Formats: sequence, structure tokens, C-alpha cells
Amino acid sequence: MAQQLPLNVRLRANATFENFYNPSNEQLLAALHDPCETFIFIWGSVGSGKTHLLQAVCHAIAESRTSAYVPLGMAGLAPSMLEGLEQLDVVCVDDVQMVAKEPSWETAFFHFYNRIRDAGHRLIVTADVSPVRLTIGLPDLLTRLSWGSVYQLQSLDDSGKRHALQQRAREQGIELSDEVVSYLLRRYSRNPGSLFELLDRLDEASLVAQKRLTVPFVSRFLDQLV
Amino acid sequence: MSATPWQQCLSRLESELTPQQFNTWIRPLQAQEGDSDALRLLAPNRFVLDWINDRFLDRIRELMGQIQGRPLEVHLSIGSQQGTNPAIGAPKSETNTIEVTAPRNTSLNPNYTFESFVEGKSNQLARAASRQVGDNPGGSYNPLFIYGGVGLGKTHLMHACGNLIVQRNPAANVVYLHSERFVADMVKALQHNTIDEFKRYYRSVDALLIDDIQFFAGKERSQEEFFHTFNSLLDGKHQIILTCDRYPKEVDGLEERLKSRFGWGLTVAIEPPELETRVAILMNKAQLSGIDLPHEVAFFIAKRLRSNVRELEGALRRVIANAQFTGRAISMDFAKEALRDLLALQDKLVTIENIQKTVAEYYKIRVADMHSKRRNRSIARPRQIAMALCKELTNHSLPEIGDAFGGRDHTTVLHACRKVAELREEDGRIGEDYANLVRTLST
Repeated sequence: MAQQLPLNVRLRANATFENFYNPSNEQLLAALHDPCETFIFIWGSVGSGKTHLLQAVCHAIAESRTSAYVPLGMAGLAPSMLEGLEQLDVVCVDDVQMVAKEPSWETAFFHFYNRIRDAGHRLIVTADVSPVRLTIGLPDLLTRLSWGSVYQLQSLDDSGKRHALQQRAREQGIELSDEVVSYLLRRYSRNPGSLFELLDRLDEASLVAQKRLTVPFVSRFLDQLV
Repeated sequence: MSATPWQQCLSRLESELTPQQFNTWIRPLQAQEGDSDALRLLAPNRFVLDWINDRFLDRIRELMGQIQGRPLEVHLSIGSQQGTNPAIGAPKSETNTIEVTAPRNTSLNPNYTFESFVEGKSNQLARAASRQVGDNPGGSYNPLFIYGGVGLGKTHLMHACGNLIVQRNPAANVVYLHSERFVADMVKALQHNTIDEFKRYYRSVDALLIDDIQFFAGKERSQEEFFHTFNSLLDGKHQIILTCDRYPKEVDGLEERLKSRFGWGLTVAIEPPELETRVAILMNKAQLSGIDLPHEVAFFIAKRLRSNVRELEGALRRVIANAQFTGRAISMDFAKEALRDLLALQDKLVTIENIQKTVAEYYKIRVADMHSKRRNRSIARPRQIAMALCKELTNHSLPEIGDAFGGRDHTTVLHACRKVAELREEDGRIGEDYANLVRTLST
């Protein structure tokens, strides 16, 4: 059965361009801000920030434009989800590799592509591999995916990850010392997505325990996770 | 400007929901706020509508009630506000939000002309035939059937032909549509009991251009209807142009009587373009965009992208974007960057295993030594280099990397990374080895 909306009073961190930290992708960012770029294909590894960028686009244009974010990796979606979306000004499709080898999805996405192109509206898609490495069976769709501007989203290096994590913490009003960041990068994960998620949980834990985020506190928290 | 109640509701929802929930389900809703006590929300399709109904509608009602200070009717239906917000700066002038039965000369893309079509050995015949049909629609080449692989210019030729017909006779009603659209329109007409109007409309056009008819396969009712439309248009000497990804006889799931009729006129093939044509296509596209494309850059791109024109156009678009972004003239470096992102030339899948194997081969040691406890330098050094490479080239955590090297501690990995960084500074040969390995692993 459907879950009702969670009542959550905690302020969530929005994914915006302002809080996207990745200095080596300026040109892609310029393309995303350019409404003439009607079709953009972004690919990059897990944790490079694809989802963040798509949601940032939706957020940035919300004042004057309609949009939707479509996460194809999400369970429970059906191809009919794509019907009528071409009427929106911008559609951001995450994880397009998920349609590969699912004939009903491939065909539905192909037709959706044609419709949104005819409508002159913008389509931005992401995948975990470049268009030539997608294993999509429908050649009509596959070639269309390499028709637009293709950008690889470069992952952050460790100092970039450090910066991104601290920036995110500052925004949420969390004090995150250099020592704690080093500790996390050494012991926990080097994937920004999981680090951000952990940050939310650490924040909650520190509120509950009324303790600051120190290395011993984080260390105890991580021990409990295992 | 103060926020409308719906906008206030949106910002409340945005702070309550995850970004994914909000952007996926709430964003695509369009609101019609009247003066009345009702809010009308439009969802783009049934799927979104059901999802909202099940999960979010109660909360939306509640929030709207709070904001308005009194209970409020919220109606949810499928639809879209027509004519709002045509994309600013969209490259094409036409926005096709036209209803089913409206006349559709607008469905022709004015950019697809014979002038912008680059001729080569691979498409000569198809181009000549299309040109003839454009000059003399409803003549002996009826229907014109163009077939060939994806991204070779079938749709372009079809539009060029349609544009020429309209240019010669501005009153001509030329209709282009994708086969899927024909099917969808027919289903809609059946649902709304307007099938007679549907028939009348399609049988009244001067030229009917249907793209990708292979998607008719298996759709018997559509084929039946199309069969009659086809006969009626042919009887009236109205032009029909069809494209398909293969020779008509080879389309499975298509009725025999249709297949044989497709062969009544002229059937022409488009082949993949040869190198010279690919170069010419790039030069032509660049010229149309007012861009100065050096010949060597066009040649470089054309040599690497062989299979279809879409890839060529995509790569060129990237090259142009690079030039505009940096404000510099187009260079080979731009071309390399565009191709790198498209073809993922540096995207050999870098895994820990792959790194261990490559480093072991490079230093002529066994892969097993990467996991072993042996500590003599000829083995420990390559192992440390492999660990440092894992940290630099993958997103694995240090404990994971340690695990993959025979269950070592993350501090060992950290030590290896520091040691290797030092050695690269001090020992030129190790610096060189390291650079070689990075190159091997990432190209």
C-alpha cells in the first residue's frame, strides 16, 4: 500500500547549482544554463554528482519554467510515466542506462525523445557510461542519445571531496573539522553521495546525543553501523 | 510580488519531501488557481496522477487549507496548460502543441531542405528520387519508400521533399508524422468516437509523410486503417512517402498486402556515408552555424565516427560549444575533448582488479603477489604503487582497497600512498613508471 507523506520538520538540503562543488566541469555547467542546448547527455561514475545537477536544473528554472525529474532507477515506475512529459519545458532523466534491454522502456523512451524534440523543449539525460557504451538494443534510440552534446562529468579528487563535504556541512549549519573529514575519507567512503548521506545521519545523531561532531563521536557512530 | 497560495504550498512541500520526491512528482504539476475556493492541478499523465492521489494529495489539501485558512477543494486531472512558456531560444520556430485534427504543414522542419542535405555516393539515388518527387508529387514515384539504417538522413530527405512540395505549391497540405503518432491519433479517435474525422483528415491531405513505418509492426488495427488511407491517397494521386529501417519485405509483423503495395512506387536505400561525405557533412553543418571549422578537425572527427550522422552532429555540437565557451578558434584539442566525452576514450573500466593485473604485468610479478604477505622490495614496491593507483583512479574507500590487497589495514594503504608520492618526487624512474601506468589504465 502507498506510504503517506513523511512528516519531517528537518530542513533538507536542496540540490542547487550554488551547492554543487566541482570545479572541473565549468563547461558542462555553462551548457546546462544555456536554454539553446536542447539536448544534453551527461555521463559519469557513481558519486560524480549527476543527480545533483539534474535536480539543480529543475530548481533553477522553477520560477518561470515547468520541469520534471525522472529517476529511471527508481522502483515502481512504468513506461507510461513518460506520456505527456514533452509538454513540460525541461525534462531531466536520470540513469537512462536503466532502459537498456527493456524493450517496452526503450520504445517508450524513443517515442518520448521524438515528441520532446518536436515540441522544441529541453531534455537532459544522465547515464553511468558514455552513449557508445550503452547496451540499448533499439538503434533508433541509441543514435539519438549521441545526437546532442555529450559531457563526461569528472569525479572529484580527494581534496575536492573534502571541500564539497565541508561546504555541505556549513550550509546545514554543521561544524565539520578537518580531522573529522580526514577520518571519514580514510575510514568510511570516498563516494560523495554516501558521504553526504552519512552527514545527514551524523547531524541527527549529534542532535540527539547533544554532542559535537568530534572524531571519537564519529568513530563510535561508525562502529555502531557495522 | 507575493507568492500565490500554491507557490506557498510548493515551498512547504519542498522542505518536507526529499529532493527526488519533490522534483519527480510535485514539480511536473501545473496549477490553475482561480478566485474560487478550488485549486485545479494538472498532471502530465495517468501514472503521475495516480501516484499523487495515493501519496501526496491529502497532504496538499491539508497544506492548502492551512495556507488559505479554510478548507479548499483540490481537483486533480490529466492535462497541460496549452501555449504556456514556449522554450526561449529553442532552435526551431515551431512548437507542436497542435491538436489532433489541426492542419500540419507546421510539422515540417524548415531546416531540413535539399540545400542542407549533403550528397554523397551513399545517398545519391535516394536524394535524386526525393528531389523528383518534390518537383512532381503524385507522379510515377508513388509511394516513395526510403529505407536504411538509423541516423543516415531518411527523415531529412523526407522533410526536404515535403518542403519542396510546399514551396512549389504553398496551398498544398503536406503532413509529416511519425508512425507512432498515427497509431496514437487513431487510438484517440477510436476512444473519442471521432474515427470518421480521423479518416477524413488523413485521406484529404495532398502529401502524407510517415516516418519509421517499422513501428506499425504487430499493430493490426493501425495497419488496416493505414491500408485504406494508403489506397485512397494513391487513387487520388496524392503523394505518399514512407521511411523504414529496412527493406519493406523484411519487416516482420507487417501485413503482406501492405508490403506489396509499398513496392508499387519506388524503393530506394540510403547507405552509411563514406569518409569524404562525412567530412562534407561536418563542413556543411559548421558553415550553417556560421562557424569556421578547420579541415583537419573535420577530418579527424569523420575518421573516428563512422556509423551514423547523428554522432557526427553531436560531436560537432560539442566542438562548437567548446569554442564558444572559451572564446577561442576551433582546435584539434577541442575535437579531442568532444570525442573523449562521446567515445569515452579514457574510460577503460578502472577497477581494483584491473589495476592489480596491469601493475603486476608491468613489473613482471604474479598477480597473487598483490595479495601476498611477502615484503621484499621487488614485490612490496609494485604493490604500493598499485594501492596508490587505486586511490587515485577509483572511488573505493581505503578499507576496501586494503581488503582487496590481502586484507590489509587502511593505514597500510595510506602509508603506501604517501610513500609512492615521495618516491615519485625523488626517483625519476618511479615517477615515469607511475605516469605510464596511469596512461595504460585510462586510455
